[in-house]
Amino acid sequence: MRKFTAVALAAVFALGSFAAARAATPILETGSSLLYPLMNLWVASYQAKNHTVQITTQSTGSGTGISQAIAGVAQIGASDAYMGDPQMRGHRMLNIPLAISAQQINYNIPGLNNVHLHLSGPVLAGIYMGRIKYWNDPQIKALNRPYAGRLPHRTIIPIHRTDGSGDTFIFSQYLSFTTPMWSHGPGYGTSISWPSVSTAVGANGNPGMVQACKATPYSIAYIGVSFINETNKAGLGYGLLKNRAGRFVAPTASTIGSAAAAMYPKTPRDERISLVFAPGANSYPIINYEYAIVNPHQKNAETREALVKFLSWVLDHNGGQEMHFLNAVHFLPLPASIAKLSREQVAQIH
Amino acid sequence: MLAGVLTSVAAGICLLLVVLMLVFLLWYTWPAIRYNGLSILNDITWNIGNQYGTGSSVHNGVAAEPGAEFGGLVFLVGTLLSALLAMVFAVPLALGVALTIVYRLPERLRLPVNALIELMAGIPSVVYGLWGTIVLVPWVGNRVAPFVTHHFGFIPFLGGDAGSGNGLFAAAIVLAIMVMPIMVATVRDVLLAQPKSIFEASMALGSTSWQAVTHAVLPSVRTGIVGAILVAFGRALGETMAVLMVAGNAINILPHNIFSPINTIAAVVVSQLESAVSDASGVAQRSLAELALVLFVISLTVNTVARVAIRGQDRSH
Repeated sequence: MRKFTAVALAAVFALGSFAAARAATPILETGSSLLYPLMNLWVASYQAKNHTVQITTQSTGSGTGISQAIAGVAQIGASDAYMGDPQMRGHRMLNIPLAISAQQINYNIPGLNNVHLHLSGPVLAGIYMGRIKYWNDPQIKALNRPYAGRLPHRTIIPIHRTDGSGDTFIFSQYLSFTTPMWSHGPGYGTSISWPSVSTAVGANGNPGMVQACKATPYSIAYIGVSFINETNKAGLGYGLLKNRAGRFVAPTASTIGSAAAAMYPKTPRDERISLVFAPGANSYPIINYEYAIVNPHQKNAETREALVKFLSWVLDHNGGQEMHFLNAVHFLPLPASIAKLSREQVAQIH
Repeated sequence: MLAGVLTSVAAGICLLLVVLMLVFLLWYTWPAIRYNGLSILNDITWNIGNQYGTGSSVHNGVAAEPGAEFGGLVFLVGTLLSALLAMVFAVPLALGVALTIVYRLPERLRLPVNALIELMAGIPSVVYGLWGTIVLVPWVGNRVAPFVTHHFGFIPFLGGDAGSGNGLFAAAIVLAIMVMPIMVATVRDVLLAQPKSIFEASMALGSTSWQAVTHAVLPSVRTGIVGAILVAFGRALGETMAVLMVAGNAINILPHNIFSPINTIAAVVVSQLESAVSDASGVAQRSLAELALVLFVISLTVNTVARVAIRGQDRSH
């Protein structure tokens, strides 16, 4: 129903704007709620100078982004996750990184939200598997000696995404890469089979995660960094995560940057790679490329031209990669080498 | 003559639509029916499989992603329990309201009260859901659930984790409020169809109004009331949006008390569709449709029984 309403509204708006600028070529972007805030900044700025294209943005979730790009409904499917091999075999789509994002682990522990708890992959896996049930569990205490006495004996309420989500993808990768029991169990994906935890709650989209975490004392959630302003406003705490080198790091430009730098040389030509749990003493463990999923065959020349022009602008260091766009949502720009790979992929659109 | 033809044509079209819907669902879900077998009804695990793995899971010649399992038991149980608990809350209230309207309310108040009930029925379910998320769920999570689990935990299904407020209890309350208007309206009509003399005769014989209602009126309209309850039950089974917003979206786990997060068939179809579309094999989407088919059959059965009951009541006069 919600999706139908969104589509109907989009159609109404599209019609309205169509009447306003008759010659404009319509481009539909839909998908990741994590990329959505940045996409809106990009589109507003781009549209101010380019009146021949009408770009509509939607926050629907990475799963919808990918499937609507495949179906040809959307020209750009925004996704925090690259497509898996089984999907690629059915539909050869381009997976084009546009920026680098990260994810924070937020919690709502009354009295402790101003404290940055130390959290590790195995502890998070324990929480989401129901093996660690209380905030004062010895395993959490062991990582947080200074606050051990203040951790309450309250049931942890793990919140996960119910929609197909790139955030679930990178979060479950962190758990898979750090915890054998997780990788042999639920594994990773944009939608995974969550372990049975009697208090676990599902939420829809990053906005839904923020709302649920805020409304539920003693809960924990994984939320994209582009929602830092919202999580701060909601008064949620965020954790320092244990990286491959064993250090606990906060998601900052410096830690996200060093994790990304460790993974650039490993990025293949089709750019489908996980950046999670990167090596390096200062590396933040949950980061990812934000992808535009694009069909290399576009039906008509007008759409193709408008699409290539917009994506090229997004990938230009004097365009969408300018720091003021990315700072606003706490993302990082692509380095020159990756932007070049992305531009090569854009060149394949025909 | 013409009216007769037109109504039979209209009825025929309705029947045809139902049959077509069934045929479509069966045709579309056939691969899922083969893949899942009985596990759609009796398995707890819902897993669309590994989208980043290699190989595939094959059951009965249908291939899905590796590890894919589509058990619908959690959703089936959640659907039935939330609707049943909603009836527990709604039935006494609705009966009371309907009896009051028919036997107690002064004539001049009937119209506004009836209008109010119709109005309640017309409120979009998302509004109830929003109220549920913002007001009801925090209240249940912070007050009701801790109180009940602490003081009445010895009673089965009331002990254990108090949870977050999202769950079976909140879903049942929202559902109860949503089905109240339809139940009140149906019971009211059943009572109005009843000659008022039953109530009056009983009063004349010296009963209190409570005795007149419980001994004379209610027994005479028993089937009609059962029908009204079933109509409301059918509505509660299929309600989607409000439940989706307060039920907690449980997956892979059965509720262990009335505050546990649950999920219903209607809600899971909405919340998992997004994930299911990323299943390259398509079995996940078809399995969701199979769940919808299960719900369709349940609703159809409940509604048919309800109609028969209400009609039986009407015929008895």
